[in-house]
Amino acid sequence: MAEKLLEIRNLTVGFQTDNGVVKATDRVNLTLNKGETVCLVGESGSGKSVTSLAVMRLIEYGGGAILEGDVGFKGDDLTSRSQEEMIRIRGNKIAMIFQDPMSALNPVYSVGDQIAESVMLHQKKSKKEAWKTAVHLLRLVGIPAPEMRVKQYPHELSGGMCQRVVIAIALACDPDLLIADEPTTALDVTVQAQILDLLRKLQKDLGMSILLITHDMGVAAEMGDRIAVMYAGVIVEEGAVADIFANPSHPYTIGLLQSVPGLEGARGEELYTIRGNIPSLNQLPTGCRFHPRCPHVRERCKSTEPPVFKVNSDHQAACWMYASGGDSEAWRQELEQRS
Amino acid sequence: MTEFIIRRLLQSVLVLILITILTFSLIHLAPGGPFQIMLSPGLSPEAMETQARNLGLYDPVPVQYFRWLGDLLQGDLGYTFKNHIPVGQIIWPTVSNTIVLMGAAWFLTLLISIPWGIYNSTRVYSLSDQSASFISYLGFAMPTFWFGIILQQIFSLKLDWLPLSDMYTMSKEGDLGDLLMHLILPVTVLTLGFLAAYVKYSRASMLEVLHQDYIRTARAKGVREGRVIYKHALRNALIPIITVVALDLPLLVAGAALTENVFNWPGMGRLFVEMAVAREYSVLMAITMIVAVIVIVGNFVADVLYAIVDPRVQLNKRGGKAA
Repeated sequence: MAEKLLEIRNLTVGFQTDNGVVKATDRVNLTLNKGETVCLVGESGSGKSVTSLAVMRLIEYGGGAILEGDVGFKGDDLTSRSQEEMIRIRGNKIAMIFQDPMSALNPVYSVGDQIAESVMLHQKKSKKEAWKTAVHLLRLVGIPAPEMRVKQYPHELSGGMCQRVVIAIALACDPDLLIADEPTTALDVTVQAQILDLLRKLQKDLGMSILLITHDMGVAAEMGDRIAVMYAGVIVEEGAVADIFANPSHPYTIGLLQSVPGLEGARGEELYTIRGNIPSLNQLPTGCRFHPRCPHVRERCKSTEPPVFKVNSDHQAACWMYASGGDSEAWRQELEQRS
Repeated sequence: MTEFIIRRLLQSVLVLILITILTFSLIHLAPGGPFQIMLSPGLSPEAMETQARNLGLYDPVPVQYFRWLGDLLQGDLGYTFKNHIPVGQIIWPTVSNTIVLMGAAWFLTLLISIPWGIYNSTRVYSLSDQSASFISYLGFAMPTFWFGIILQQIFSLKLDWLPLSDMYTMSKEGDLGDLLMHLILPVTVLTLGFLAAYVKYSRASMLEVLHQDYIRTARAKGVREGRVIYKHALRNALIPIITVVALDLPLLVAGAALTENVFNWPGMGRLFVEMAVAREYSVLMAITMIVAVIVIVGNFVADVLYAIVDPRVQLNKRGGKAA
């Protein structure tokens, strides 16, 4: 059994709105082992980023609150820590990189300042040593001429380079866990590939775990050891990457995979779409959250929310189809025929 | 940086030259002209001609302009028409008096408003934030002259705590304590008018910055909240604040003119009103020039501050992105 690094249990995050508390995530469970990459996949608004910000306890700055559950990190519950204690963990043990690298860097401070700050916050190093570390980190993330780049400002760098700088900041204190929130979404395709390669290489060299948030199934297939699929604030399916792609089990995951354009198939053929839209979080349907859009919906789905069922030993899905007994056998056959 | 400052300085000089041309032409085009006032009544037309020729009024306009400019550069602002007093002798004391009043009001405004705005941006809709809004509307809604008179009514006439008007009590000229007492009311009036806008402005600017991604990055690094606000957010928020403050400088001069009249403050604004009534063109020209210089200096200082605060400002010099 691999060593557990991060264990999210029943994590529920709420936001106070004019219409009462809205739950952005609802009893999310997710485990990350040491050295592993887990991809959290889902549409915009499904609660991926909220989950990651809750782990960092940054959600409080965005007006949210952790209503229930806990975040186990190295056997320690982060939800019971004060912000004062979290300051020592953030950027040190858990680091985070973000979607838009151009806006993730402060425009009025040099690249070196921003990397060195992180070093000085968590390690007892002089300013001079911290700048030396900054140059070293820039070299590590593959920026050419780091001695020159370290003095430059974000506006003097390209998007890809900025993301490398953001990664350098995140790596400054050799974190155990790196949370990457859509790190390649804002970048060109070729730069995307470079950044993903870099992340993979760094993970191998430094032995950290990565929680990668993406809406791109391709990125997830490329990077992940395991995938967790989120829909409307809940995790609907979780399993090993190969297993999810070979044998997607939740109707939502099946729909997601079908809506990725492939190289096969006739030209002009219409791309599959999941009908309907992701529900608004303050108007969630009863029962299974996906039931209004599900092509395999049954009566039971409309009334009762499905618990998580095991599909096989390391693969689980929150769908009534995998409950034992009843018509579930025939149901699954219908699913196989359709897809 | 030095290159930027030099470039900007040359621009300022150019603008200043344009302003001298404009000022000169405007006064020159004014109908009637000051000439008649200067001459003793009952002078024969021939004598008038000679007089005008001696004064150089028949020279071509450009020649007159350059003569005026040359005098100006040597600090010679000309003479008043009526009593033939050097204009400089009338103006310079009022300039320093205005600077005292304006400077005190400006300094106090910035000292209160920016920290208050920052504080409110971190506690939106708190009591402090709400009262800032209230004072804002109050400050906007009350005309300077009306509010000034109300303060005089209460604090000098009724309560007799503060002097009613002027800069010094008679025979106490140069006494700092006496000056401060006289400053309280006009500075309050001026400050309240500007305070409101600046508190609102710095609050809004901070709020916008606090929602930026790089603030989240800073928090994710483990930067503590105080440092997030004063190091990462403030410097970015200051950029638009600098613009507004610098561009408001002429407004403050204008505000001072009204306040000076209400409080009988011997400043430039009051002088301008007096001299406009007396049609003393050389004095009006000089005041216009001085105000123009203040505006240009304000803009120059703002631009230099920009370049210090924001590294992107010098981008046009050696821009270019690395691939």
